Amino acid sequence: MCLAVPMQVRTVDGFNCVCEARGIEREVSLFMLQNENIEIGDHVLVHVGYAIQKVSEEQAADTWQLFDEVLAAEDSIHDVR
Amino acid sequence: MQPTDREWLEALRELELDRPVRIMNVCGGHERSISMAGLRTAIPDNIELVPGPGCPVCICPEEDVYEAMQLALNEDIILVAFGDMLRVPVNVPKREPRSLEQAKAAGADIRPIASPGEAVRIATANPQKKVVFFAAGFETTTAPVAAMLAEGAPDNLLVLLSGRLTWPAVAMLLESETPGFDALIAPGHVSTVMGPEEWEFVAERHGLPCAVAGFRADTLLAAMYSVLRQLQEKKPFLDNCYPEVVRPGGNPEARAALEKTMRVVDANWRGVGTIPDSGYELRDAYAAHDARKHLPSYADDLRKRAGEMPPGCDCARVVLGKIYPNECRLYGVACTPRKPIGPCMVSDEGACRIWWSSGYRDNVSDESQSREAVG
Ligand code: SF4
Repeated sequence: MCLAVPMQVRTVDGFNCVCEARGIEREVSLFMLQNENIEIGDHVLVHVGYAIQKVSEEQAADTWQLFDEVLAAEDSIHDVR
Repeated sequence: MQPTDREWLEALRELELDRPVRIMNVCGGHERSISMAGLRTAIPDNIELVPGPGCPVCICPEEDVYEAMQLALNEDIILVAFGDMLRVPVNVPKREPRSLEQAKAAGADIRPIASPGEAVRIATANPQKKVVFFAAGFETTTAPVAAMLAEGAPDNLLVLLSGRLTWPAVAMLLESETPGFDALIAPGHVSTVMGPEEWEFVAERHGLPCAVAGFRADTLLAAMYSVLRQLQEKKPFLDNCYPEVVRPGGNPEARAALEKTMRVVDANWRGVGTIPDSGYELRDAYAAHDARKHLPSYADDLRKRAGEMPPGCDCARVVLGKIYPNECRLYGVACTPRKPIGPCMVSDEGACRIWWSSGYRDNVSDESQSREAVG
């Protein structure tokens, strides 16, 4: 529940924006980054629908690499659930 | 160039520790990365990595889950909760629903959500109904709930708040006679929101090395290296091994929203008991949104103690880092992710579930019992 995922900003409308990661789009609130300059194309760390930090493109890519490893490891264990 | 995982492992091996060291982490995400990457077997034998209180679902008081279930079953409301709360078991007589999921199957209107924004949308779409948002979680999750309230939530949206702060549980362990660890890896995203400074007390007041880490193997290994060097040099401080994301002071808007809408109070942790200044309560200015003030309470003192953990479940000791998950007698025997018994096997952030899904399959409860007997 405490793990935030990096997403890329697609549209911005006040505090509301649409972010995308791995082809999935989500409505995200920029309320907590209201004093940062967030532009289309930027990467943000998103947790339960709120952007909590701006991150670099590199940082976003690195984090996704980690998630892919974790997901692949979980998939390989068929009786997880 | 940043050192690679291999180089960090090499550096750890070269430290030549003169005694075994226990490093605690307090974040389900850290534990997941450590277990999935197999770091426990990769690092030298005399470094132990202990999962501590890092699962908000596991420590959410049983009576709060029960309260949420009873509200959904008995009141004319829609109950919304983060999806991972739905399967958490409570202790009730057979045939009564044991979880929010079972209460839903029994006809209650319970809907899993993934964000506070969804709670707002459901409340807006159902203006004639009260929508109760059962909000459990650590600071990372509670801050967005605070932001939702600070921004202005619909009148019919009530919050059943069960938010908790992470650091007071560590403070409680450190103030006890047997903390059970020599160094701490502080949580990355809690620090992103609240600021790394919250963890300074570990070094300053208790003289234990501490480092904030991210979630990749290399930043976790960097944090381990940092705390071990601090131990060797006998110069404990708070290191930040995740500076790209964790900035001094944390996220000012998140902290302001928390400060505006909530105050910090003593709070109960499932199986652990009351920890001073470890929970959030809505401020009076937000009483209109406080489910605890506007709906009847189903709290029942008679079932309170008995209901802490399911019989035989050792989650309380797992959460406090006193035993490893596979030292519970039920681990992998009666309790698996498919048929979980305790919250630590239900939640994605529970140490039992993470260990099982990372491939730890041995139950060592017999060995550890005999170890305890020998002393
Ligand atoms: S293995 Fe199951 S019963 Fe044992 S502590 Fe973990 S969740 Fe509880």
